[in-house]
Amino acid sequence: MAFTFKGGIRLDEHKNTARSPIVPITAPSVVRIPLSQHISTACVPCVKVGDLVCKGQVIGQTQEGEGCLIHASVSGKILEISSITDAQGRQTESILIENDFEDRLSDAPAPCDKDLRTLTPEQIVEHIRLAGIFDAGTTPLPAFEKLSHAIGKADKLIVNCTECEPYVTANHRLLLEHPEQVVGGIKILLRALSLRKAYIAIEDNKRDAVKAIAKLDFDPEMIRICIMKSKYPQGDEGQIIYALTGKELPFGKPPADIGCVLFGAETCAAIYNAFAHGEPLIRRIVTVDGDGVDSPGNLLVPIGTPVSDLIRFCDGELSSINTIISGGPMRGQALCDTDSPITKDTCAILAFSKKQKRTPEKEGSCIRCGKCVESCPMQLVPRELYRRFKKNDLTGCEKYGVLSCTQCGVCSYVCPARLELTSKIGSAQTLLRSAPKKDTASPESSESERKEQS
Amino acid sequence: MTEERTKKAHLLMGSTAPHTRSPKSTRIIMLDVIIALIPLLIWACYVFGLRALSVSAVSVLSCVLFELLFDLITKKPLTIGDLSAVITGLLLAYALPHTVPLWMPVAGAFISIVIVKMLFGGLGKNLVNPALAGKACMMFCFSSAMTVPSVLVKLGAFEKYIPVEGAWGTTPLSSILTPPSEGTMALSFESVLDQFLGYETGTIGEVSALLILVGFIYLLVRKVITWHIPLSFMATVALITFALPDNGFERFDFMYMLTHLFSGGLMLGAVFMATDYVTCPITAKGRVVFGIGCGLLTVLIRYFGERDGVALAILAMNLLVYFIDKITVPRPLGTSRKPLFARLIKKAEQEHP
Repeated sequence: MAFTFKGGIRLDEHKNTARSPIVPITAPSVVRIPLSQHISTACVPCVKVGDLVCKGQVIGQTQEGEGCLIHASVSGKILEISSITDAQGRQTESILIENDFEDRLSDAPAPCDKDLRTLTPEQIVEHIRLAGIFDAGTTPLPAFEKLSHAIGKADKLIVNCTECEPYVTANHRLLLEHPEQVVGGIKILLRALSLRKAYIAIEDNKRDAVKAIAKLDFDPEMIRICIMKSKYPQGDEGQIIYALTGKELPFGKPPADIGCVLFGAETCAAIYNAFAHGEPLIRRIVTVDGDGVDSPGNLLVPIGTPVSDLIRFCDGELSSINTIISGGPMRGQALCDTDSPITKDTCAILAFSKKQKRTPEKEGSCIRCGKCVESCPMQLVPRELYRRFKKNDLTGCEKYGVLSCTQCGVCSYVCPARLELTSKIGSAQTLLRSAPKKDTASPESSESERKEQS
Repeated sequence: MTEERTKKAHLLMGSTAPHTRSPKSTRIIMLDVIIALIPLLIWACYVFGLRALSVSAVSVLSCVLFELLFDLITKKPLTIGDLSAVITGLLLAYALPHTVPLWMPVAGAFISIVIVKMLFGGLGKNLVNPALAGKACMMFCFSSAMTVPSVLVKLGAFEKYIPVEGAWGTTPLSSILTPPSEGTMALSFESVLDQFLGYETGTIGEVSALLILVGFIYLLVRKVITWHIPLSFMATVALITFALPDNGFERFDFMYMLTHLFSGGLMLGAVFMATDYVTCPITAKGRVVFGIGCGLLTVLIRYFGERDGVALAILAMNLLVYFIDKITVPRPLGTSRKPLFARLIKKAEQEHP
């Protein structure tokens, strides 16, 4: 029996690129590296315009020592440091580097030549921090922060090898072609967490990847491969933990609180590369697909490469493309600029042409079919949240658990009336989180606050 | 430069996640329901003749027309494209005997569409099932015309039954609800089989339990409805009639139970009317509660009211949907909710410290 969770839906997988091997892209002539690549404190540049940088050199860091370090992904000259609009519509600083194609390597993050068994957890965390590795997941965090929070708390390491979004096959190809990197990363993580066993969560539509991992030579006591049902959103933190352990991730708490810690397959591979080759996170695998490109595939792309380079590489005609989505079709962001850079969490670039009608039709009226309730993986009532948000009843939204929503998009996908449930629920969350506590707090929470004060 | 910029702005379309939608729109769901309903009409034409078709056609056409007129008069966007009026028209006709005068379905359609549905705000806003409300009004206004013709003549060679015009007697259901004399009724397996296959009398849509089951399975496979309401509804009726029969029938009589299930409007109501999205609860738990309530009321009306109570039972439960929804809100994953009892005590403590 495959592991699974309550709710969720089966999607048309469109995994057209599952057989396309990872191909390195032709080196871009310029890269634009945003200094804030995830929701966390933004980095400040530590280089100046006109500086020559090496590949792998640190170009952005935070003062407090938290957040991911940013490395140059090519060698060359800093052209400008300016502000751009990222996929979420926020303004972020970015560094534009002109590639000199000399591939001068920075020697700063040296490979770790010591025996793994002699390393302390702190040394491992520090090495991961220096490599600027970022774990894209339900709660995107720098990998070292996640790890240092979990040390001593977590007794179960779960490696998330699922890929439940349609089209995306980057993780799948990574597992097929470099399973040793993922397993190597798992060994390092186990050492840091002083655990003996890791659980690999992988869906049953990737049996070939399971075989590729099983072929490797490792202690069978160390890694257990758990086959999950292919269902969306199987890759979400809460859903994986529920499927594997039967425990519910308490609302607003990190997984470490119930003794679990999750890392993505690509994070494990990046950790392995940082230890074995001293390579910081400066490139990643990106699936390029959609009817806007003629030869879809999986590309190995330096961070900061403009999206238009990827589309041209895959024989796409920019003028015929209507929509570009960064990420999967369920959760991804529509890009507004074809020159947007690839960031550390871009798993896919989907280009759709005008032929394919993707813009949602007009919203109809709810017929109370209950499909959103059936398929919500968090067991919410999206219809009720939508109705209350429309009536400006944010307190009611909170009472119905609006903050538990993970924005997986299932409710909007299934809605026959084409209601924009997910984005409206997202707006309610944003409003509730930004509003001052007093107005929106439910009676229960305000009561507990009062108790704390007295 | 500006030219380039405008080109770019034209190039990329914004879109909010998710960027892909399920192909199942409201119209496709409604079309599926219509497909599931069509075999019943074909069977009705076989049993009752083309009269069943003309009653259905009048009912469907007038429902669609009333909705169109309402939209035009109130200057609202046209809504007949969602096909829900067609379903209302079909269900209304299916709940009528084929012998009604042809103007009666028009009156029923007016009540269903204009009063029950459109005046409450159109699709998704009505409180009770429009078709059932229309039928219920007609039952009280034109009660004699709403009685089904009942005696069937068997044509020996063809095993075919034809209703005899003008003969009003007993249906299998009414014969067990008000038996002619105590203890004389014996239900044979053959008569139950006839009811199951559809060789019986009744309203246009309710005669063949088999075809209703086929429609049920189609709707389940197409994921239009869930099993919760039909099964909990039928199971409740089956359980009560099996364990506590009325009118001197013996306990644990299978044939008696099956007559309750296959005869009258129970199957049609459980599969097609109680599952109407708009007027049933939205959570799985709520739907089971709703189904059990429908079953309970149906049996009570059949036992004590001595008539087929499916329509009234569903209408009564429709009115409770708001409250069923309120008490069956699921607990979001990862949150804890205190049981109702503990919450009440806490509330009382707060009010009277």
